[in-house]
Amino acid sequence: MAHLAHYKQAHPLPFVVTHWINLISMIVLVFTGFYIHYPFFPGFMGIARGAHIFLGCILVINMIVRVVLAFFVKSAPTGGTRETVTDYKTWLPQRDNRHQGIQWIKYYLFFKKTHPLSAKLGVPQKISYLCIPILILIMAFTGCCLWSVTNTIGPFAAFVSWCGGLMVVRIIHYYLMWVFICFILLHVYLANIEGLEPTKLMFLRKEHGGLVYSPEAHDLIGRDDLKKE
Amino acid sequence: MPSFDSLMESHGVSRRGFMKFCAGVAATLGLSQAMVPKIADAAEQLVIGTTSGVLAPALWLEFASCTGCTESFASATTPDVATVILELISLNYSETLSAGAGWSLEEAMDQTINATKTVRNADGSTSTEPVGYILIIEGALMEGWNDNALVIGGEKSTDLIKKAAKNAVAIICAGDCAVDGGWQAASPNPAGATGVEPYLKKAKAAGQLDYDIPPIINVPCCPANPEHIIAMLVDYLLLNKLPQLNEYNMPSEIFGQTIHDNCPRRGHFENGEFVYEFGSEEESKGYCLYAMGCKGPQTYSNCPLVRWNRKVSWCIEAGAPCIGCAQANPNMADHGWVDLNSPFLNRFKHIGIGNFMFDPTYLAYGVGGLVALALIVHGFGMRAAGRTTGGADFETFRHYDLKHPDHPITDKPLAAEEASHLSADMQDEAIDEELKIAQPQLYDPKAAKKKGAAK
Ligand code: HEM
Ligand code: HEM
Ligand code: SF4
Ligand code: SF4
Repeated sequence: MAHLAHYKQAHPLPFVVTHWINLISMIVLVFTGFYIHYPFFPGFMGIARGAHIFLGCILVINMIVRVVLAFFVKSAPTGGTRETVTDYKTWLPQRDNRHQGIQWIKYYLFFKKTHPLSAKLGVPQKISYLCIPILILIMAFTGCCLWSVTNTIGPFAAFVSWCGGLMVVRIIHYYLMWVFICFILLHVYLANIEGLEPTKLMFLRKEHGGLVYSPEAHDLIGRDDLKKE
Repeated sequence: MPSFDSLMESHGVSRRGFMKFCAGVAATLGLSQAMVPKIADAAEQLVIGTTSGVLAPALWLEFASCTGCTESFASATTPDVATVILELISLNYSETLSAGAGWSLEEAMDQTINATKTVRNADGSTSTEPVGYILIIEGALMEGWNDNALVIGGEKSTDLIKKAAKNAVAIICAGDCAVDGGWQAASPNPAGATGVEPYLKKAKAAGQLDYDIPPIINVPCCPANPEHIIAMLVDYLLLNKLPQLNEYNMPSEIFGQTIHDNCPRRGHFENGEFVYEFGSEEESKGYCLYAMGCKGPQTYSNCPLVRWNRKVSWCIEAGAPCIGCAQANPNMADHGWVDLNSPFLNRFKHIGIGNFMFDPTYLAYGVGGLVALALIVHGFGMRAAGRTTGGADFETFRHYDLKHPDHPITDKPLAAEEASHLSADMQDEAIDEELKIAQPQLYDPKAAKKKGAAK
């Protein structure tokens, strides 16, 4: 048992809320997306399209809110500490992660026995999370190209004709969904494979004891079993 | 000279029928109803004028095609206004409709192309310029086998189009084959079928044309809807202008809304009432054909309004899903509408890059499944390695620090300093020992490395 202590400071309340919204929107978007692609049972198209477009907008707004909040809300730069920095800094390269990318890969490929020291997000996670806002924007863009309310607007109309018609855009939108699905599989796996504690913290704000890490020293400095003083 | 009304009467057309026709043309062209009298007036003037002799010359060239567009156009047999309007043009060449054949007909074509008229200039001098003609093209050009895939009367289709386009006042590409190559251009397209606009643009870019390409009006659909063609002719002959065109050079009024936007089955779509199988109860109820592969949501055309076969019916009303025949795209001739929309009776699943087509559904499910499988296998590995209950033990030193002890990432002395400030229960002798932080003086990466190796 060697994981870091899980403190609320890692995921301040606003980010827990945005993460819940992410989760719910994504589940509904993927389901309704599959349904719009082929209506595998009758009687649901109006709701599916309404929900899909509504939650598509919510997802985009949520993403923007999350990115903007990163400049205002403070969160822990690493696991195992209650110290906080402005959240966007945890998106940038951090000293704790320096030269650790290969170590992570080795660790996941079982070439390395010990767990790499790292910032809150390890190198693989950080790279994949940074792709998410971009992917959401591409989804929103191609989605707006498909939606008859928006697809006569300049940039959307231009993209449709550049692609060669709605049919092509539709297929791009559909296969990008699979990129999301692969991300979700990986993400849920990585988040839970070393125990359910990170998930309980993320969704329920439940803290857990563990090793204490110092963001200044970039090293472990002790253990906290959350005994209340 | 017969009066206009009696001329119409002789074709079995009442005044009321004539006005209705004019209103229909105005609607197809997206003109306001205020234009109806103007159209009627122009038609009367023109008809009366032409009875005294000036017909607008037109050539109808047929390349690789099934003649369906001619058939569709010519099936306007019952006497009505459209036929009167058609009498306004002098169709000087049509393989199917012209009475003549062979060399004499080819000669008529050459004469039409090369006809000149004398014009008086402002300074009193005179000069000659081409009379011009409307060029209607049906069918695809063929570039296969050095353009020999299609040779008509000893001339390659590509040479013919270059010759015929030269003095045309406008080119109407009637039907998908003329627009993007159509069925002939479907993958793998061995004969190199292509549309008129893509071909002429390519020829122009290659410096093979010594003139500017005349205005092109693409009228897609398979076959071209005669109502659309007549509307174009009326627009040009009566109102003396070209219709407003979109980025595909198609009349934007006709191809500006999707089939789905105006579909009478749309209510069933929104309610999720779909036909899943032909011959089923759902089909007899006239449910939406989306699940049968209807391309209506992606296809821009006013078929539901203009309809087909003299407004009798149209594809979806007749029970067939739209196959997207109005999607022929002159800018995408290497991946024509047939490849784009097949399989017709299924929600689209093929991806094509040029002539290369594949069905990525399996790829998507395959890659998705592979990722899931890899994660499951990896999960068992993690479990076997004892990492699923909190992960492996942390590394004592970063690999980098072991390699570069002079400038490590970890500040071990600071770590020890910070550790000493932790509350008592957060300091743990065993941990301190294990993590090598309590006694920074012991921190000797080389020795640590040796110790690690000895283990
Ligand atoms: C981010 C995650 C998203 C996923 C996974 C997703 C998935 C899908 C899928 C699979 C389809 C069906 C495509 C087909 O016809 O085969 C679809 C359609 C569509 N999506 Fe999305 N989408 C997402 C986001 C968005 C967003 C952000 C918007 C717009 C704001 C949007 C708007 C649309 C529209 C308008 C359609 C077409 C619906 C119709 O045909 O009436 N989507 N989406
Ligand atoms: C069952 C589903 C999910 C679980 C269990 C889950 C769990 C987690 C956990 C534990 C974290 C924190 C990771 C860490 O700090 O080490 C996290 C962060 C994150 N998750 Fe999820 N997640 C789920 C679904 C999703 C979905 C569907 C998305 C969006 C597509 C998503 C996007 C993110 C992002 C962007 C972060 C990092 C950014 C932030 O801290 O707000 N997650 N997730
Ligand atoms: S039949 Fe086709 S065009 Fe009509 S509502 Fe259904 S999907 Fe749309
Ligand atoms: S309904 Fe569709 S398939 Fe039928 S003519 Fe119109 S565009 Fe073509």
